[in-house]
Amino acid sequence: MVVRVFALCVLMFASVASAGHNELLIERVNAKFSYTWLALDKTIKANGYKAAYLQRCDFALNERHYKSDKYRILFFGQYDEMKRMSAKYPKLSPFFPLKITVMEEGKHTLIIAAPPITLLPLVKTDEDRMLIFRWNEDMKNILKQVKNQYK
Amino acid sequence: MKSKILLVVLFLPWLSFAGGQEIYSENCEKCHGFSQQGSLGLPLYRSTVANHSDSYLKKTIEYGRPGRIMPGFKLSNAQTVKLIRFLRAGVKAPQYSKEPIVGDVEAGKYTYEQYCQRCHGKQLQGGEGTGKNFSWQKDRDVSPPALSNQGFLHAAEDQMIKHIIMKGIKDTEMMSFEKEFNFTDQMANDLVAYIRSHQQSSVFSDTPKAVEDEEPLVFVYQSQHDLNTTVEKLRDSAAAYNFRVYPTRTLFEGLGDATEDNKKQMVVRFCNFKNMQKFLKLDPRLGVMLPCRATVVENNQGEVHIYLENYVHAIKRFNNEQISIDAKDLIDSMKEMVEEAVW
Repeated sequence: MVVRVFALCVLMFASVASAGHNELLIERVNAKFSYTWLALDKTIKANGYKAAYLQRCDFALNERHYKSDKYRILFFGQYDEMKRMSAKYPKLSPFFPLKITVMEEGKHTLIIAAPPITLLPLVKTDEDRMLIFRWNEDMKNILKQVKNQYK
Repeated sequence: MKSKILLVVLFLPWLSFAGGQEIYSENCEKCHGFSQQGSLGLPLYRSTVANHSDSYLKKTIEYGRPGRIMPGFKLSNAQTVKLIRFLRAGVKAPQYSKEPIVGDVEAGKYTYEQYCQRCHGKQLQGGEGTGKNFSWQKDRDVSPPALSNQGFLHAAEDQMIKHIIMKGIKDTEMMSFEKEFNFTDQMANDLVAYIRSHQQSSVFSDTPKAVEDEEPLVFVYQSQHDLNTTVEKLRDSAAAYNFRVYPTRTLFEGLGDATEDNKKQMVVRFCNFKNMQKFLKLDPRLGVMLPCRATVVENNQGEVHIYLENYVHAIKRFNNEQISIDAKDLIDSMKEMVEEAVW
């Protein structure tokens, strides 16, 4: 446990110190949209999170000259953690639940997320910072795991 | 012994790419595609890269294109060398003299307006949107590069720009102006001088503006009404500001139980489709910000607050100047919308 916390601390400070910590998290998946969507749903669950709902953003995209209208956002989270954090820090509420955008790109699919680590300035204790950092790592891992399923 | 040497010779090209492919896969393929065919980023075909000097590629990787999606990457020198080697895939790097080209800027401007403006834009701002995106049916296969971009001007040698003008780039819409329009050396020199005249004299910097860092991450508004009234007023206000308003949800709908406690955290979601499509056209990744929403929370003291994400910070992640400009109006109208609801 101590080792894990220490490792997370080291990673956290390394991530925050790096210039790119604020950048979007993106992975390209070598699979069509429907396969990626299913893989994402399963991977989120496998990482201990629950999918809350989806938001379709495909309104008239085809009519607007898009080649594809496969564009969805999946909201997910862990209820207890987020409930506690939103009660303690209401300013976090606009960022809950966490979300991943899924968009078709020809034969591939892009999965994109904003890095939760950008929420660090909104929390005050080390324990809460660690939690946000873990969300960030989980988000990266989920994206990578989906990508790796279709290598 | 001879067979061993033969094996080494045969595997030499592969050995030279090893490492570079992993670096590409980790950092570049999400935007430039699995086979460098382009996507959010421009294609990195071997025939394209063949025109670019090592110095140009190195600076492009390091500094990116400010305001044009491509970020700068903090790779080590060894990693950058490996990546460039991978992109070249065995094609020899061109050598360009560092000697600046002298030309007539006014004459170059005239030539630019006649031949280049149609693709690269009046202000040399390049095409709109992402490099080459399959989700959006554009009028061009590839978005023309921004020649006035300070990242480009910092990276490109005069002689490289001239070479590309005269010879064109194979497999792209950039034709050989020497062949197609009988460009003379002088015309190309004038054109290079005109393009170079857009470089700002200040030292190149990709440091984000400090003003934006001072912006709060979240706007907080205290409502004079109870929670339900605030939600209703917010919905009405959003509709009045030309947003389509979705059904209201509790913050943790789908995650937790529908307890009374959870009904004190409501999310009002809204979207202006015209704006959404405009932004998606500029960068399809913008979905990470969708839909627009405001959270209405009643605390233990019975006070009701509205929490609105300040999208200025999210917008910065796209490194897209056009989005930053257009989003300012949207953010302002969202703030006005909420102010109206809480009053």
